Amino acid sequence: MTALHELQCGFVAAVFGEDDAPFAGKVRDGRFPGARLVQIYRNNTFASLTAALIAVYPVVVRLVGEQFFRYAADRYIHAHPSTSGNLHDFGGRFAAFLATFAPATTLPYLPDVARLEWAYHRVFHAAGHAPLPHDQLAAVPPAQHGHLVFGLHPATRLLESDYPLLRIWQANQPGAAHEQIDLNEGGVRLLVFRRDLDIEFKRLSNGEFLLLRAFSFDRRFDEACAMALEAEPQLDLAGILRQHVSLGSVASFRLDLSFV
Amino acid sequence: MPAAMRFPRSPIPARAGIGLRAPHYRDVLEQRPAAGWLEVHSENYFGAGGAPLHYLEQIREHYPLSLHGVGLSLGSTDHLNLAHLERLRALIARVEPALVSEHLCWSSIGGRYLNDLVPLPYTDEALCHVSARIRQAQDFLGRQLLVENVSSYLEYQDTTIPEWEFLAAVAQATGCGILLDINNIYVSAINHGFDASEYLRAIPVTAVQEMHLAGFSVNRYEDGEILIDTHSARVAAPVWSLYREAVQRFGPVPTLIEWDTDIPPLAVLLEEMHSADEILREQRHDRVA
Repeated sequence: MTALHELQCGFVAAVFGEDDAPFAGKVRDGRFPGARLVQIYRNNTFASLTAALIAVYPVVVRLVGEQFFRYAADRYIHAHPSTSGNLHDFGGRFAAFLATFAPATTLPYLPDVARLEWAYHRVFHAAGHAPLPHDQLAAVPPAQHGHLVFGLHPATRLLESDYPLLRIWQANQPGAAHEQIDLNEGGVRLLVFRRDLDIEFKRLSNGEFLLLRAFSFDRRFDEACAMALEAEPQLDLAGILRQHVSLGSVASFRLDLSFV
Repeated sequence: MPAAMRFPRSPIPARAGIGLRAPHYRDVLEQRPAAGWLEVHSENYFGAGGAPLHYLEQIREHYPLSLHGVGLSLGSTDHLNLAHLERLRALIARVEPALVSEHLCWSSIGGRYLNDLVPLPYTDEALCHVSARIRQAQDFLGRQLLVENVSSYLEYQDTTIPEWEFLAAVAQATGCGILLDINNIYVSAINHGFDASEYLRAIPVTAVQEMHLAGFSVNRYEDGEILIDTHSARVAAPVWSLYREAVQRFGPVPTLIEWDTDIPPLAVLLEEMHSADEILREQRHDRVA
């Protein structure tokens, strides 16, 4: 191991408070003893990673309070360190972390709120895509409709929750009116999407959700329809497809004419 | 076949510019302030689309642009992060910046990122290592990088070379340009007790292609204080003095006002920018006279 490599490993172990020994004596005593100077880097690192989480998860912050959030963030940073030089990539496992974070188990809906905020964050930064070419779709012979494979817009995410997630999110936006939410009022299925540059949510029926989810898994239209109709026999498939094409959430298609 | 230019050909002029941050997108587009050029943090535009790129592309039509990276971890003994370099290369192709810069530091090891600018020990080994990596990055991107001196709060026992000599040697070894951060020199000079003017005198004049100015904060403890490079305030008076000295040595060089936390109204950045422009103008005048 080279001296530089050894120094870098020792520095990071000291910053994470895992083991100060390999780094002891590596820093000159300056205005303060070396160990206190390392502490400045520890503070900077945890402050910037925590700030990144606060920026992505403002509703979680509001629900648990800043002090609790900072504690959870500290534990999260240790458990799931940043693996990218781009801070916008940091925090993707926070929902899963919260689900197993003992002090947060009294708020069983919290991981779903985090999931929604991460979806929002990803949709915000996702690629754009041209609308689906209507004329090309209209040119597909009806006999081949079952073979269509629709694609969702890159800036969309699907989410389902047993909790009234959208109302929780809305009630915790800056300036929202105080509102009592019954956690047992029922779950929600959501499409997170971008209209122009703004992020929006659309509530989906069960069948509509299953249809779009089947699209997101590259299922053929006939299979996707079967899944949706099984859950919701009255579903207006053609109407729903039209609606999502016009919203832009269904943004592409191809034909899968392989053996049935 | 040469790629078609989508944006005006716009080299960075030897004037002052400002760091562009999200709260100012609309103001910049509506007011079109007389900034010589703009700089953004590359990583803020690593997403594939959405509002950040939408605004950056609109603004790019009106201003020369510089991309300033904070996450490449040039000095790490990990392999260079190819995914990061690829995203940077794609962004360069998309917005056609006139300058691309990164920091002379490391920020990750073993795949774990501190997302902070950590100084290198200034040794022959580190010089050799970071120079090889800068060459790799320049080869990958097919262009010259500017490399910036960071501010620091500690010095390593291993260090054998003064930072200014190390920076000059990196530029010499790699052909990279130097982005000289005047505030960082000042912060480190106070924290470590070296002579900031000596630093300036050691840097080769022709290598400096850009300068940075920013405000620091002071962490006060019972037994002393330390300067922290927070980019959260106006440029301090002694940093302006050091900047005058730098402009005398290096000539009128594109100079950026950085402000990244507690971001004030755009007008405050523009005031700082005008102060820098004033110093650049004096120098141009002196040179002609």
